[in-house]
Amino acid sequence: MIKFSHVSLIYPNSTTTVLEDLNLTIAEGELVLVIGPTGSGKSSLLRLINGLVPHHTGGILAGDICVNGVSTQMTKPGGMAHLIGIVGQNPANGFVADTVEEELVFGMEVLNLPNDVMRKRVEEVLDLLSLAALRNRSIATLSGGEQQRVAIGAALVTHPKVLVLDEPTSALDPIAAEEVLSILHRLVHDLGLTVVIAEHKLERVIQFADRIVYINGDGAANVGTPEEILMQSPIAPPIVHLARALGLKEIGVTVREMRRMTTHLREAIASHPVADSQKPTETVISFDKLTVVYENQTALNNISSTICAGEIVAVMGRNGAGKSSLLKAIAGVNRPGTGVIKVLGDDPYDLQGKKRREAIGFIPQEPSDLLYGQSVSIECAQADRDNELAAGTTYEVLQQLVPGISLSTHPRDLSEGQRLGLALSVVLSSNPSILILDEPTRGLDYEAKNELTRMLVNFAAAFGKAVLLATHDVELVAELANRVIFIADGDIVADGTTLDVLLSSPAFAPQVAKVVSPQPWLRVKDVVAAIEGMQ
Amino acid sequence: MTQPSLHPFTWWLWAIGLAVAIVRFDSTWFTLSCVGVVMVLVFRLRDDAPWAKSFDWTLKLSAWILGVRTIIGITIGVPIPGTELFRLPVLPLPTWMPGIRIGGVVTWERLSSSLSEGLLICSIIVIFGAAASLTSPHRLLRVLPIYIYEFAVAVVIATSVLPQLVGSVKRIRLAQRLRGENTRGFRSWKRVAIPLLEESLARSLDLAAAMDSRGYGVSKKRSRYRPISWRLKDSLVVILAIGLVVIS
Repeated sequence: MIKFSHVSLIYPNSTTTVLEDLNLTIAEGELVLVIGPTGSGKSSLLRLINGLVPHHTGGILAGDICVNGVSTQMTKPGGMAHLIGIVGQNPANGFVADTVEEELVFGMEVLNLPNDVMRKRVEEVLDLLSLAALRNRSIATLSGGEQQRVAIGAALVTHPKVLVLDEPTSALDPIAAEEVLSILHRLVHDLGLTVVIAEHKLERVIQFADRIVYINGDGAANVGTPEEILMQSPIAPPIVHLARALGLKEIGVTVREMRRMTTHLREAIASHPVADSQKPTETVISFDKLTVVYENQTALNNISSTICAGEIVAVMGRNGAGKSSLLKAIAGVNRPGTGVIKVLGDDPYDLQGKKRREAIGFIPQEPSDLLYGQSVSIECAQADRDNELAAGTTYEVLQQLVPGISLSTHPRDLSEGQRLGLALSVVLSSNPSILILDEPTRGLDYEAKNELTRMLVNFAAAFGKAVLLATHDVELVAELANRVIFIADGDIVADGTTLDVLLSSPAFAPQVAKVVSPQPWLRVKDVVAAIEGMQ
Repeated sequence: MTQPSLHPFTWWLWAIGLAVAIVRFDSTWFTLSCVGVVMVLVFRLRDDAPWAKSFDWTLKLSAWILGVRTIIGITIGVPIPGTELFRLPVLPLPTWMPGIRIGGVVTWERLSSSLSEGLLICSIIVIFGAAASLTSPHRLLRVLPIYIYEFAVAVVIATSVLPQLVGSVKRIRLAQRLRGENTRGFRSWKRVAIPLLEESLARSLDLAAAMDSRGYGVSKKRSRYRPISWRLKDSLVVILAIGLVVIS
């Protein structure tokens, strides 16, 4: 269906090749997963399929890409529209209509399909993606998962033979992600659709993949079955790390396979009592009877809790449950409707300038919102000046967090992880008592996530500071947090240690916990520690 | 909006008519009343889509233009005789710039003529800003003929990305305020402008790529799922605007 023959790609003003002599044939009805570190060229590979690269982006392409016999050399992306449906990294940026129904028909209208065909296909897609209830809704009011489904629907109405998705689950909570992926799985099996996905969160998609393309970033690419690729790949879901840590001969890519392979383990080890971490004492954040209302919508409903120094608290919940509202209230964006928030004894809304920087560090969803310098050095110098520090202090912090960033680089040219590191070092240079992060792992690969985990754990443990983060990423929470606040519809529904909260719901349990259940271990290192404890 | 909205062309035709009428009338009172009517219409009819909110920024922009235009108008240029309001010190200029004068006597006539000229410019900005905020750019795209598609893509990107920027400005300023930065004054805008420009460029490219890969502009004909029809009330609004042009 898709044939890459001797494909090499290089972008102008760049010295490294993105792809070099890639040969790849994807058969009809295959689900192929593209993995690789951030910035390695996954998106480029996807966009090569319908010719957006190089027709839209520029770049020098050698070799040929053929989809169903049509070569992208001769045909522009528009000419492939009936063959290929493509869903971008951020579907909200690609919407061209106001309501769900208009968005769905757009692709058919521009292909000039007759009205009766359009009517049938709209109904078909509405049913297929369970969008019927949303058909007249304005797209701007939909949640992330719903928008993703609309984008997939809009790509499917033209009955393409190939569907290409760039990080379809990165902004979704685990349940919404599950929903989107199971729809894709069904499309592949029922309709024989060929699907190509790029994704960082392997634990979510690996079980659906038939083959994996691993892009290294230096032009090389490996193609193989998930088992083959994951055997050596540095990029691997926790489940594979578990298999490696246990020294299993084979690796399983699904929880089911791994459970079968580890039966002896679960039975052999007696329940290992989890060491009780010492109770932190000093309260740094407290909120009492907090209510936040936006334009008739209650975002937070009369919630109370306290957070202590040294704690890493993860705020979890569905898209739109009120996570961001809670973080923003604590950061002091608005005065809350009712209730009291105290950060180090002060109302956060009143904090200004230096005092604010020393109390609260806030990393927004888009870390680049904080960056406006033309180079890393300007950015670091600005932070030094703001905080009256000796020149070079911020850069030192940055070197510790993400080593090897050149001072003259423009912040835009950094990878997502490096940019997050830069924003983090700018914020940390003022030595805040509390660090708040709003969904820090969007677009981060495993390595960058490990880096982030290490930074935050150090920050909280070494200096006794509190970290508060909102995230959908269960694996990150398992690695990082020692407490979880679970929010649903503006209420706190669970508040306890990470272990208790994550294990109480299968949807939010990390992969390792699913494999070793009923043993209460969340991380690979918990399992290893338990085995060592036994010997 | 509860009632079905007007045809996307209606408000644009109406705005053109109104602008022509204002220029031909050239009367301050007529201009002021037009701006008043436009503002009432926008605040009553607009929904809470991102482009609808852009009208507030249109108003701010035009107030700023009016202010700058008036200050320049009364300080630079040829003196107009009349009732003296106050006197500014005259800036000495080299002899090769005869006839131009900076500072000097500010007369009532001069102030009012500067104001009314500035008002004319602003009223036209406000009227087209109103049309932009009352029309969904996406609906506009659906009725634009396909053979001007490159132009249409540009229009859609400009009209749908720019208003979204209003939301982005708020987000970025918020993030920077939480960094403990001063978000007032002219200097703070530089800090907003750079992330903003980069984001808008990225968004525009995304939208253009999405439209391209969905086959926009490939077929010269386009079918209609739910045609947007021209109704009686559209005709009424346009006839009203044409009427104004005729009597002016």
